[in-house]
Amino acid sequence: MNKVLITGSEAAALGAKLAKIEVLSYYPITPAFPAMERLSKYIDDGELNCKFIRAESDHSALAAVLGGSLAGARSYTVTNSQGLLLMTEVVYHVAGLRQPIVMGVANRALSAPHSRFPEHGDVVSQSASGWIQLFCENNQDILDNTIQAFRIAEELRVPVMVNYEGYLQSHTLEEVFVPEQSKVDAFLPLKRQPALDINNPRGVNTVTSPDFYPYYKFNQNEAMLESLNLIPKVAAEYNQEFGANSCGLIECYQMEDAEHAIVAMGSIVGTARILVDNLRKEGRKIGLIKVKVWRPFPVKAILEALQNVSFVTVLDKNIVFGVGGALATDLKAAAYGRGEMVINGAILGLGGGKCGVEEINAAVMETESAGSDKNKSVWIGL
Amino acid sequence: MTINVNSLPQVELFGQGNVGCKGCGAAIAGRQAMKVLGERTIITIPASCMATLGGSNTRSAWRVPFYHTLFECAPAVSSGIRAALEIQGIKDVNVVSWGGDAGSADIGFQSLTGAAERQENIIHVLYDNEMYMNTGGQTGSQTPIYAITSNGSLGKKVRKKNMLAIMEAHGIDYVASANIAYPEDLMAKFQKAAAKKGFSYIHILAPCHRGWGIKPEETIEVARKATECGLWELFEVDEGKRTRTYEPKLIPVADYFKAQGRFKNLTDEQIAEFQKFVDDYYGKGE
Amino acid sequence: MALKQLPIVPSGDPGGLAESANAGVQRINRPVISDATKIDPIVILFCPDGAISLDESGFVISYKFCKGCGICAKESEGIVMVPEYTGPKGIF
Ligand SMILES: Cc1ncc(C[n+]2csc(CCOP(=O)(O)OP(=O)(O)O)c2C)c(N)n1
Ligand code: SF4
Repeated sequence: MNKVLITGSEAAALGAKLAKIEVLSYYPITPAFPAMERLSKYIDDGELNCKFIRAESDHSALAAVLGGSLAGARSYTVTNSQGLLLMTEVVYHVAGLRQPIVMGVANRALSAPHSRFPEHGDVVSQSASGWIQLFCENNQDILDNTIQAFRIAEELRVPVMVNYEGYLQSHTLEEVFVPEQSKVDAFLPLKRQPALDINNPRGVNTVTSPDFYPYYKFNQNEAMLESLNLIPKVAAEYNQEFGANSCGLIECYQMEDAEHAIVAMGSIVGTARILVDNLRKEGRKIGLIKVKVWRPFPVKAILEALQNVSFVTVLDKNIVFGVGGALATDLKAAAYGRGEMVINGAILGLGGGKCGVEEINAAVMETESAGSDKNKSVWIGL
Repeated sequence: MTINVNSLPQVELFGQGNVGCKGCGAAIAGRQAMKVLGERTIITIPASCMATLGGSNTRSAWRVPFYHTLFECAPAVSSGIRAALEIQGIKDVNVVSWGGDAGSADIGFQSLTGAAERQENIIHVLYDNEMYMNTGGQTGSQTPIYAITSNGSLGKKVRKKNMLAIMEAHGIDYVASANIAYPEDLMAKFQKAAAKKGFSYIHILAPCHRGWGIKPEETIEVARKATECGLWELFEVDEGKRTRTYEPKLIPVADYFKAQGRFKNLTDEQIAEFQKFVDDYYGKGE
Repeated sequence: MALKQLPIVPSGDPGGLAESANAGVQRINRPVISDATKIDPIVILFCPDGAISLDESGFVISYKFCKGCGICAKESEGIVMVPEYTGPKGIF
């Protein structure tokens, strides 16, 4: 394995290149565009044999990728924020059609007011869409998750989003180990499953009556749930093949004897590790749970990790208005009926707001002092 | 290029068992086109009557791959299909997107203009019933001026957007108007479009008897009148060369309008206005 | 409907609607060939439902597919529309 210094955008593009994507379409948007440009350059330079469709909108970009997938090609796109929202109709449709499309999302805050900066608000809007959502702590995760995403998507026929944050990850250099192409080829064998097959014609997306529709949705949900079994297996195999250190559904950090747990996803996890180390030095029994898979929500894995925990601080870089942070809300629902554990949410880092060690420390302190008022989310850094 | 009706393929790639209304003009267009496009065709159809009537639960009315797309994006989907075929080395397939007037000229216009500008190797069809029939017959950009619709009881106030001119302005390989009442002309145009390497656009007048206020059996007759009176000219622009493919008899435009319920409020002055327009266009004015 | 019988991608069998067609429910009048020698073969292309075909034995109208729109009878000689139901007063 070879080690390179690359941005998150480059890691995403490299992951897609190693996966040998065959159909690519995108519509430029900040901060996803460097990944797009890199992929186009790979194609222009003859390093990637892939058809690029220069779409005239984000909606058409995902639609074109969907056409590619339906006709049997391994297909990929990248977007974020407004682009993702414009795509929303197609996002749900892709999942309903069970197409194994992988999409990078360089998470960015939503307008209004206008912001270009990182936040998870964009993908939180797609939480019910039927896409598996993976979150990345660092650029290595972006590369590893992108490659694994194709395997997961194609095996289950469920589309996968690989989330990484705008600027914080998309534009930041980090050392990344790059797996060998031949090994990736073996890890990702191409098995075409075209729904639009000229030699086996079918009518796709026929008008469906109530006698059928719920069954399709049941099957779709089953496939989504099955990913909770598959994702850890894929990660284990990936680690074995590539000597990597990719977690399954979640990763526990200093959780063995922890009484207080921080739960978070995305780039903030890396910062939270530092805080946990600091607080451990002060003798606090605190740990951290990194959520890699947010959709489907890995209830069992998280609850197991929280078995001996009495207090949870959830860090959310998003806000569901009138409810709270999305991750905190999911966790509260998952922990329903589970004893005395208090789960309090902190909202921070919205629209690129600060979320360094200091802010995460404030989140820990303030969620603690919010006591057991479970409906309260504290806003950090206002 | 002439087409002999007796020697057309017997196989019905589309039409039989479709769940459309009786006398559906869109289904007629689909049948005629498929007789030339043949079984090596993949067709995408955005939300519309044509998408709805083409499949129900586990049954398709098509014997070629058919995909009922979202409303805005059939040409984009077709672009992706073409890309996937190319990457797999599959060359002998017609990729067609087939939209209604809304799915092509209104909500679907963005993806249509995008695919045309990219010169995608696909054929886009606008089958034109001049209103939004699948949602009950509302007014759209392709509804002609004065026509009464389900949400426009007073008649449309502005003219029909000229999609053929717009598509011609894209500089694509092939642009043609067609009419279900002239199957040989229509099919010859599909034959030409299928042979192009770039983008083709075929705009088919396909009346809907419910929307137009005519009897089902009059579907072809009224479509024919649209061309014979000079309002729906049959022509093609083949790599920039414009040819009228049928010389109309130039019957009075009143014969066309008076046959339809949707024009029942048309005044004699308005009809005269149309007649003058047609006369001028065909060089018959004084 | 057992779950397993559904395809993964929501889709229908090719020509499935043709096999299960029951167009007759829409029909009030049915087309009948009165004089096959007078039929203009173009009506094959005017029928929205692919109900008219021409084989060695001549023109055939399939009542499995025909919805009784009347286009064929209107556009060609040799085909006439007759009431589908012949009960008292033609009422059904
Ligand atoms: C995004 C979206 N908006 C609205 C609709 C509702 N809708 C479905 S078909 C249709 C009208 C289609 O009109 P047209 O393209 O002219 O085809 P027609 O049904 O007349 O043949 C509308 C408005 C939809 N399916 N999707
Ligand atoms: S009545 Fe209509 S559907 Fe029946 S055969 Fe004639 S044209 Fe076809």
